[in-house]
Amino acid sequence: MALDEKFFDKFGVEYAPNEIIFCEWEPGNEFYFIQSGNVRIVKLIQNREKNLSVLTDGDVFGEMAILEEQPRSATAIALDHVKLLKFHRDNFDTLMSGNPQLAYKLLVIFSKRIYDAKRRLMILLLEEPQIRVMDVLVMLAEQDPHLDLQNEVSLQVTAQDVARWAGLTEDDAQKELTHLNRTDKIEIFGDRIVVKKIREFQRLVASRRKSMYQ
Amino acid sequence: MSNSAGGPSGIITRTYKSGSIIYFENDKSEYIYILKAGKVFLTTVKLDTGEETKEEVRQGEFFGVKSALGKYPREETAQTVGNTMVLQLTPADFERLVLKNASVVKKMLRVFSNQLRRIVKMERSVLGESEIVNADAELFKIGEYYYKAGITKHAQYAYKRYMEYYPDGPNAALAMKRIRGIDAGEPPPMDLGVHDAPAPAAAAPQAHRQADAPEDFSIEEPSGPGDMIDFDDSSEEKETKPSSSSSSSIALEDEMNDFLTEPASAGGDLDDFSLDEAVSGDSPKELSDAADASFAKGNFPIALDLFQKVIALNRTASPEEKKLFEKAHFDAGRCYIEMGKPKEALDILSKILRNFPGSAYTKLAIYHIGLIFESVNQKEKAITYYNKVLNMSPKDKLNSEALNKIKQLQGR
Repeated sequence: MALDEKFFDKFGVEYAPNEIIFCEWEPGNEFYFIQSGNVRIVKLIQNREKNLSVLTDGDVFGEMAILEEQPRSATAIALDHVKLLKFHRDNFDTLMSGNPQLAYKLLVIFSKRIYDAKRRLMILLLEEPQIRVMDVLVMLAEQDPHLDLQNEVSLQVTAQDVARWAGLTEDDAQKELTHLNRTDKIEIFGDRIVVKKIREFQRLVASRRKSMYQ
Repeated sequence: MSNSAGGPSGIITRTYKSGSIIYFENDKSEYIYILKAGKVFLTTVKLDTGEETKEEVRQGEFFGVKSALGKYPREETAQTVGNTMVLQLTPADFERLVLKNASVVKKMLRVFSNQLRRIVKMERSVLGESEIVNADAELFKIGEYYYKAGITKHAQYAYKRYMEYYPDGPNAALAMKRIRGIDAGEPPPMDLGVHDAPAPAAAAPQAHRQADAPEDFSIEEPSGPGDMIDFDDSSEEKETKPSSSSSSSIALEDEMNDFLTEPASAGGDLDDFSLDEAVSGDSPKELSDAADASFAKGNFPIALDLFQKVIALNRTASPEEKKLFEKAHFDAGRCYIEMGKPKEALDILSKILRNFPGSAYTKLAIYHIGLIFESVNQKEKAITYYNKVLNMSPKDKLNSEALNKIKQLQGR
């Protein structure tokens, strides 16, 4: 996925480990393409630094800056030595006209992001905490193409993550998970949750969602 | 359209009778379509109200793009009205086609990013995150967060951006003051708590601050930035265990086992610090409370001195005293981390593993050893220690934190 070498001469920037690339709330006018290295995306949530993700070679970030002048919604920090291509919004049109390959890549990224955001929103629109937690697990199961949903699935997720996706406090999420555990629907391990019958969750969530509209 | 001899899949022309379904919502399919003749309506169910909306595709337009490219189920149902002809493309066909026509991609990008914005906005409003916020105040808060956390390098970045974008903003004077303070190597003022500071990654930037500001602390000679450079594989081994092998994580495994099995050595060798700050009493409890207070204020050298005094008392008769004794080791380690002295921190934290294997602080100590290695960029070692935490019972928040760390270090 490496872009043309000549690009690096013109748009290349490098960051040392632990250096901030941009920070939450600062105006954003550029988006970035990772040539090499890893970038940590973090956000302050309730005055704590939360890791949202770690991006790597070929990933794009800061892409929301392309359309509107909005402050950054998260902070990007170089995890190791990072080489990036940095593109200013003003160059976007010329850049896209000259590099349809990059444009296409962005298109694919946007497609995915739209769906992910919609999927998260669908969880948040559910009323009952219990159903939300189930839907988080359904979402995670659906995201992993290697899982066989007919069988027991093992999801790499912590109670903390579940709380975040479900828009619940950690305590509330933990309470729901404990309940599901006690009723033998799931098994909780330190780093993962095993769901016995994810199809059952899927059906339940779908029927709740339907009834919600009536 | 030609029968696309060049591609592996080929573009296919399909014709439908009126009322046919090209695809249903939730279908999984990789195909992308272009409407050539006739009519196609896309029916979408609105997320929040369940209401159906219909949208007509115009001739020459693409549909089914997002779900095909994003590899997820269809979000809408595509139905024909009247006899209809469409071109069916695979993503590879689509890519070839649009690469020849940058303006199409650009237009789609705009549509997609608008959609994305809208959804993210809605997500925020559902989560109750207010829409009216002052970006300048929030940016300043980011600086303050890292400042209080002792990650002055990151704080500096945020303050500088603040000055760049809001030179006349309400927090400009304070931001400027902080920037100068950090440049001059001043430690954060006493009244800034560190309660909500994240322990992770605090050590490295702290080291610089400390190294720059020796005159503020009368405890000992600052060892200078050389500290960090020395703290590599070889010197670390000098510290913990002389060994000829240096590279692999297996060696680290051994080292760790050594930590756990070595016979207990006598309490730490203690330097006699002389400090101005008077301490009211000298029972472990009083010392420990005073130490906690200093720690909370961010005055780590003084806190460290007090924790060292608790250790020096070496009182372990009652369970309370024993706990304070162990806690003092752990907190002294945290002080060293905060003061940018990873070697010393490692030294005292490993004493916990050696001397009090079943202690309430063992797991915390291992986690912090992970943090120390992480802060000096020794990923493999950090991961090894985080792994130890991960496998320790009872499973609690720290296990999840450790997992997050591992994932983060392994880059997903």
